[in-house]
Amino acid sequence: MRRLLNLLRSKRGRMEQDLDRELRYHLDRRAEDLMKSGLSETEARRQAAVEFGGVAQVQEEVRDTWIWRWLDDRSRDIRYAFRTLLRSPGFTATAVLSLALGIGANAAIFSLLDQVLLRVLPVKEPERLVLLDWKGNPVSVNWGSGNLLSYPLCRDLQELDQFFDGVFCRHPTSAYLLTGQQPEPVSIEIVSGSYFRVLGVRPELGRLIDDSDDLRPEAHPVVVLSYNYWKNRLGGAPDVVGRKVLVNNRPMTVIGIAPAIFRGVDLGQGPALWIPAMMKRQATPEFNELFNRRAFWMHVFGRLKPGISAERVKAGLQPWFKSMLEADAQREGFPRVSEEQRRRYLASTIDVIPAARGRSDLRSRLEEPLFVLMTGTVLLLLLACVNVASLFLARAAARNLELTTRLALGASRGRITWQLLADSMLIALGGGLLGFLAAPAVSQVLLSFLSDDLSARIDQRVFVFTFLVTVAVGALCGLVPAFQVSRIALISSLKERARIAASGGVRLRKALVVGQVAFTLILLIGAGLFVRTLERLQTKGPGFASGSLLMFRADPVSNGYSDSNATQVMRELLAKLKDVPGVERVAVANSHLLTGGTSSSSMTIQSDKRIVTDRAVHYMRVSPGFFSTLGAQLVAGRDFEERDLRDRNSKETGSRSIIVSESFARRYFGGSSPIGHRLGFGNRPGTAANIEIVGVVRGFSRRNLRDEIEQAFVPFWDRDSGDGTFYVKVLGKPEAAFASIRAAVAQVDPVLPIVNMVTLDDQIDQSLTTERMLATLSSGFGAIALLLSVVGLYGVMSFVVTRRTQEIGIRMALGATRSTAMWLVVRDAVVMIGAGTATALPCVWALGRLVEAQLFGVRAVDGLTIAAASSLLALVALGAAMLPAWRAASVSPTEALRFE
Amino acid sequence: MSTPRFPIPQGTLDMLILQIVSLEPAHGYGIAQRLQQISREAVQVNQGSLYPALHRLEQKGWLKSAWRQSETGREAKFYSLTRAGGKQLAIEKESWNRLTTAVRLIFNEGK
Repeated sequence: MRRLLNLLRSKRGRMEQDLDRELRYHLDRRAEDLMKSGLSETEARRQAAVEFGGVAQVQEEVRDTWIWRWLDDRSRDIRYAFRTLLRSPGFTATAVLSLALGIGANAAIFSLLDQVLLRVLPVKEPERLVLLDWKGNPVSVNWGSGNLLSYPLCRDLQELDQFFDGVFCRHPTSAYLLTGQQPEPVSIEIVSGSYFRVLGVRPELGRLIDDSDDLRPEAHPVVVLSYNYWKNRLGGAPDVVGRKVLVNNRPMTVIGIAPAIFRGVDLGQGPALWIPAMMKRQATPEFNELFNRRAFWMHVFGRLKPGISAERVKAGLQPWFKSMLEADAQREGFPRVSEEQRRRYLASTIDVIPAARGRSDLRSRLEEPLFVLMTGTVLLLLLACVNVASLFLARAAARNLELTTRLALGASRGRITWQLLADSMLIALGGGLLGFLAAPAVSQVLLSFLSDDLSARIDQRVFVFTFLVTVAVGALCGLVPAFQVSRIALISSLKERARIAASGGVRLRKALVVGQVAFTLILLIGAGLFVRTLERLQTKGPGFASGSLLMFRADPVSNGYSDSNATQVMRELLAKLKDVPGVERVAVANSHLLTGGTSSSSMTIQSDKRIVTDRAVHYMRVSPGFFSTLGAQLVAGRDFEERDLRDRNSKETGSRSIIVSESFARRYFGGSSPIGHRLGFGNRPGTAANIEIVGVVRGFSRRNLRDEIEQAFVPFWDRDSGDGTFYVKVLGKPEAAFASIRAAVAQVDPVLPIVNMVTLDDQIDQSLTTERMLATLSSGFGAIALLLSVVGLYGVMSFVVTRRTQEIGIRMALGATRSTAMWLVVRDAVVMIGAGTATALPCVWALGRLVEAQLFGVRAVDGLTIAAASSLLALVALGAAMLPAWRAASVSPTEALRFE
Repeated sequence: MSTPRFPIPQGTLDMLILQIVSLEPAHGYGIAQRLQQISREAVQVNQGSLYPALHRLEQKGWLKSAWRQSETGREAKFYSLTRAGGKQLAIEKESWNRLTTAVRLIFNEGK
């Protein structure tokens, strides 16, 4: 590149010098003539300059003629390039498509990566937002995931105005919203009154929740609707402000609409409505711990004062935090905990995490897979570039004669270099344009695997990114052959025709093929790992008979029933469902399986000694018959029965009986039977271990198919039985039973919503989305890579063979057999494939770390996968090399010798 | 210099340059001098404007240039006519003649 620039610069310099000399000559001569006619030298020079009329201006005008010439040449180059490219459509199509594939995939993945990982919240000065988090032991009860604090703590933090320009908190959850005929579940955000003010969001319509809506519990029945919900579900009704809607069957007033661009602080969880924290009891009927300092359920965000760093605020907050902890530990109602736990509580600190992008579970889930995919697409783009470069080399070699002839006829090397650049830029722009047009489609496919809260639109920055990549690729591809042209020795080249001149090109092209083989192998191995992961997970299965099962959720307690009435409705539903024809078994539990969610707690075990579990135990509440409905096997003891239920009329809290998983029994009881021993939830010294183990069940997948966790089950009806998930085992296809089940539910309550009705097989499929995305896309990448490198290898081999036809002819005339002749050619290919494989393997080892977390049942450096991928590549690549070799060996010696 | 000089018509400068250079290779100053001598100083050329014209003609391939020793012994850039330039000159002369004949006919009408 520098050589080319220097060439251009020095040429320009020479032209400037010439012009300078030319004009000076004129002025000098005129002055001399004027002096001869009697003027003084100064007078003569002045007069000459006046007649000339402005040297600088003349110079400018001359330079203009150069620029026009330059532009004229370039447009001529482009037209010429167009014509020559159209004359070899095969070459053009291959090159353009290679690049389109590489660039399209890159643009698509990058737009997604940008949305998920890089984009900041669309609010005022997002870089000043921070997330506050508890580091240490909070002695808390948690609802929700990650970075949780309590509402009173948020209030405390709001007082610290030396650090913050405001603090707000929020809790994402779902609620039933009725604006039409039937209540439907929607995502909601429970927010403090400061939420919109601190974020700096302005209403689209009406007003937003403010501090006046955050004063007294249950006294502010107002909601703000999202722009999307308003537009899509209410048709953008202009009179929406002031309307009453039902949230969990409680009337609330719509006070405003949030702007379209603002979709909450949690990517992938755009809420349909916002509701004040004071309305928590209505929003989340299942728990109401608004003023409990140890009920952690809120994400607390602060806006830093201008010019203060998160680090400084973090340091500044600690003294306040420490005194808060000490005061709190003295407070009445602080739990009785061990000295150790109290010490750990008092040693807690508060963390200040930059949060310009908000916080998102989706982001943490997709971060790694997206980087894996990005790596794959970058490899693919590199491969496409290599392919195009080697195609260009082949073309340059084929056009050698044409180019040398043009050189001999007086075309400048510069001119020919420009010509080749025009060729490659046209190809690159064509590929870029096509790739850019294709990117939204690729993006759409990607999104079908991900969240519908993301957009498939390719944004402008991505366009710039793609365009720059394209231009860089074009320049790179064009320069390689251009340098070769500038090395052509005219005489020898014309004398020896196109035969010898490009020998340097062959070496380069072979190196490129080695690179292609290496990139392809890496992609193929990656594809193999992800495909095997998916296959391993599918083979493993959930640990129960999913084929004839379906589940759905019913939530009477959020739809207008009191706690006890809701439980009654649930019991009625269970009885009604058992009578539906075709239904074999029915059970109810507190949650959906395989949705990624779970409840967990540490437990205290009382056998001959008292121990505390070293890992959290995942628990679930299930009705009698749950295990037999699922087809999960009881390996010891018995299932729950009615006698296990706690007596609702006594003072009893908690459960009497518990069933543990086999993995739990193995981990904490070793070989001996756990039946009859007692457990308690929690790990405090005061924890009562009085729940009797009555059974052991073979474990099954809880959150996802990868789960290797200890589980425990308690009776469903013991508490909070006003909502739950019904599991129905049917004869025949579960989808066929959807209608009759809906009808049965409607008999109990015609407006009770049925939520998330799915077959367990579909739920398993859904839980494997990330794995399937990686397997599908990486296989696609692998196949494209294989295709590209086959094209590359075939091209080089054909070229080599053509150059060696004469040599092969001589050898065959001297008695070489067809197979030795073929071997002569294939040997080259074997060396290239071998070198490529050798280059790829260390990279596979290094990249292994990146993908390790995404794998299951297979290691990142897996001998079988590597062997399979290498063999596939070797087989296909050798096939591509054999074809030209076979052609060479089929040429009759006389033909070959006459070749020149 | 007694008769008033008139500015050269747009577009004819190129033709005049080609004509002068067709007689013998010349440098820019020489061309300027000759333009004035031959036309008996009737044509006024802003001398500087000669050079953009020369470069344009060279870019078009009608002139070629080389550095040679001039009559004063100093090196100067000499322009000479290419074959394409010769053809172009013939074409321009032809169309000029037709134009002037036509104009003269119109002027002489009615005399």
